[in-house]
Amino acid sequence: MTDKGIYEDFSLVRRRAKAAFFAVGLLCAFALIVYWKIQILDYRKFESLALANRTRDIVLPAPRAILTDRTGTVVLADNRAAFKASFLRDNTRDESASIRRIAALLGLGEDVVATRVEKYKIWPRFRPIVVKDNLSFEEVARIEARKNDLPELIVEAEPRRIYPHATLASHALGYLQEADVNDLKTHPDSIRAGDMVGKMGIEGEYNERIAGREGKLVEIVDSLGRSQGELERTEPQPGQRLALTLDFELQAKAEEILAGREGAVVVLDPVTGDVLALASYPNYNPNKFINRFTPEEWQDLARNPDNPLLDRALQGLYSPGSLFKPVMGLAALATGAVGSDTIYFCGGVVDIYGAPRHCWNEAGHGALNLRDAIRYSCNIYFYQLGRRIPIDTIARYAGLMGLGRKTGIDIPGEKDGLVPSTEWKKTVRREDWYPGETISVAIGQGPLQTTPIQIAAMTARLANRGTAVRPHLLMGESGAVEDDAASSIPGGAFDQVIEGMWRSVNGGGTGAAAQVEGFQVCGKTGSTQTISRETAERIADGAKIKKTHSWFTGFAPRTNPRVVVTVLVEYGGGGGATAAPLAGQLFEFFKQKHDRPRATSGN
Amino acid sequence: MIDRAQLREIDWVLVALMVINTLAGVLLIYSASSDSGGGHAWRQLAFMAVCLAVFFLTISIDYKTWMTFAPYIYVLFLLFMAGLLLFGRSVAGSRSWLRIASLGGQPSEIAKIVVLLLLARVYSEYRASYVSTGMIGLTLSLVGAPVGLILLQPDFGTAMCFLPILFGALFLAGLKKKTVAFFLIGAVVLGAAGWVFFLKDYQKKRIEVMINPSNDPRGAGYHVLQSRIAIGSGGFAGKGFLKGTQSGLKFLPARHTDFIFAVLGEDFGFLGITAVLGLYFAMLARMFRSVGKSRDRAGIYIVFLAASVISFQFLVNVLMIVGLLPITGIPIPLLSYGGSSLLATYFALGLVVNVKMRRFANV
Repeated sequence: MTDKGIYEDFSLVRRRAKAAFFAVGLLCAFALIVYWKIQILDYRKFESLALANRTRDIVLPAPRAILTDRTGTVVLADNRAAFKASFLRDNTRDESASIRRIAALLGLGEDVVATRVEKYKIWPRFRPIVVKDNLSFEEVARIEARKNDLPELIVEAEPRRIYPHATLASHALGYLQEADVNDLKTHPDSIRAGDMVGKMGIEGEYNERIAGREGKLVEIVDSLGRSQGELERTEPQPGQRLALTLDFELQAKAEEILAGREGAVVVLDPVTGDVLALASYPNYNPNKFINRFTPEEWQDLARNPDNPLLDRALQGLYSPGSLFKPVMGLAALATGAVGSDTIYFCGGVVDIYGAPRHCWNEAGHGALNLRDAIRYSCNIYFYQLGRRIPIDTIARYAGLMGLGRKTGIDIPGEKDGLVPSTEWKKTVRREDWYPGETISVAIGQGPLQTTPIQIAAMTARLANRGTAVRPHLLMGESGAVEDDAASSIPGGAFDQVIEGMWRSVNGGGTGAAAQVEGFQVCGKTGSTQTISRETAERIADGAKIKKTHSWFTGFAPRTNPRVVVTVLVEYGGGGGATAAPLAGQLFEFFKQKHDRPRATSGN
Repeated sequence: MIDRAQLREIDWVLVALMVINTLAGVLLIYSASSDSGGGHAWRQLAFMAVCLAVFFLTISIDYKTWMTFAPYIYVLFLLFMAGLLLFGRSVAGSRSWLRIASLGGQPSEIAKIVVLLLLARVYSEYRASYVSTGMIGLTLSLVGAPVGLILLQPDFGTAMCFLPILFGALFLAGLKKKTVAFFLIGAVVLGAAGWVFFLKDYQKKRIEVMINPSNDPRGAGYHVLQSRIAIGSGGFAGKGFLKGTQSGLKFLPARHTDFIFAVLGEDFGFLGITAVLGLYFAMLARMFRSVGKSRDRAGIYIVFLAASVISFQFLVNVLMIVGLLPITGIPIPLLSYGGSSLLATYFALGLVVNVKMRRFANV
């Protein structure tokens, strides 16, 4: 303690003040280090965050490719400008209040909007969630009028898919639906949630080509998400216009003759593999799917017992029945089981392996060779072949003719069909093959299963005398196929079978109804039992189920064939009575169209 | 009251630092409000003119006189704030804004300086090496009364600004280790109790968010994240005056008040931060060193408490906008926009200069 007169000693408090100042100095140094870390060391990170903060990417959807028929003139799928209402969560503070107001304005249920928002809630808040599309002009006006007090509801333009001919070629074209989880997984780069993507048909198979490349608009935005101008813009690139192999008139005709029945029609160019017509009935209107918000209509279609979504031409599995007889004939001739003039006697019924086997003609066809057996579709003749050719040989020739596997047509969903063999029976049914089963297979029954497109492709091979083609729907696709029955089956065998098919149509055979004056149609009918003969006898008359499926497949003209027609009518009755005349109409239509002086281009 | 000799003793360096920092603030406020024509900056400039007048008024009256009046002003303030609580209008969720002739005035800011003066008076004759329990109780109640009223408004940030005054005074008077331990335990208990019973949900959320700001980027963590982005993206040299995108596009909240330092970081980068931090530190150093230039104990307390409260606000703000402390709404004296904050700061600095210039006077 020093005494300095009137002055007190403040050294203690001054020391304390100095200590406090020292602490302040340390904290200032610490602050400087913190700012060094953020501004110098972490600069890159924050720079990119700042950039993301002030820009917003807006997707400019690309219009889907226009799809046309084979001439390039008839448009089958087009785009129209349409408007959708979207909820921009960035522009609101109270989401549930916004949902209420949006629902009221658009006349939607609150739960509908809420479900919608819930579904996409993981999206960044600046990404608009579509709440209603295909707005009417009145709705657009109503939303625009409320722009100021409802900034979270915006109108976006988007090209909308439209199918001008509605149901025409619906199964071939396919349809669009909002992308599902699977789409997002398989195409993480090109498809995003909320996109409309092609499902089934051409739209599905060629989705990437059709979809084009979307454009991007980078906008500068302020903290309220309001645009402050464009930073960059990449224009969308529409998908390239695609021509399908479909012949518009033939397609329309095919659907016209099918209308009211359940069945399928395939018309092929046997040389190129071009699918000229591909019809399945009942069909659907793909325009209905372009709406994101009417799942009910989808449910209706999916639950419809007639199953309009099923493409019967590709996905329907049917016994080939008598259509298999030409294949049996080829197998018999190629293996030498019979010669061209080997004759069997048909007495209407024959006893094989201790069981009576019937011909469809109970009176019997008498003595006939292979050509006439095909002409009259005699069962007994083929039962005899079935006794002489082992099942695995039959299976090999069926395989050579393209049965039992996909044709490789360029739209998804095609079924394999089935050609049985001893190995198949062992692995799938875990039983041995009984020779009696071969007898059923010989007339196209038993476990055999085919699709109409497969039958058409098989018929094209027959017409080409062994040269296979791959059916396809996109113009310019190659129809060439590697495997080739021509080298395994002698040409003479084809000649015999084709002669039989020609007689079937032009010689008073079962296919007579398909005859076209001056067109040399060669064909084969089929009537396949959908239930066993015994069951049919037990149940009451008139039941639809008792009727057979009605088949016809054929080509014309006999030399240098230009067209293959395959018709299937479910529960249509006899092939000669139902399917053959329909095929005849198509042959007639084709002939007339192509005999006309060529005013327009096309083949 | 003022003579020529004292006039010569005015710490013009400190005055210059004060003015320079204020002008730096005006510049930043201009950048922060450039989209609205820089209106806030011009108003801040006008405030500054008024505050300079107040500053010279402050130094022209002996700090002893100010101390004499302190208790009366203190009581007036308590009554005034109690009245405000009962009748005040709510501005921005808080009642601390009193609207007088369209100028917003925040009495709590001035109350800080009044409490400072009051404590200086209380401790002017306190000579013990360590503060007694009685003095602690007295100090706590003197600070506690206005703080309680301010918390009721509720204005957590302003209430916090009384802490450096309270603990500054106790620290200067001498705290024993035992007492410090007692305060620490008390703070933990009170903090826990406050968390459970007192803090509003939004305040709790702010503290939670401080721990993890990216948890809720659009909600409470938004402010911290946006301010960090603004500062970090400024980099070494900054984006340039008025070129800050985060501020310019309004991603930064309250950017002319609580987040003015983030505007600085974005526009002028680490260089700007270093420069302003240096200027500010120079000012604080000048204030702390003035502790030694006081003729009496009261003066020491005034200078030290003024330096403490300004240091505290500066450091808390600078660390809070980078997410190291919870966002509590504490502006930076001189730099942040706001008339009453500026007024209180000029008043405080005026007292410091006042004490220093009268160090040779014999009264």
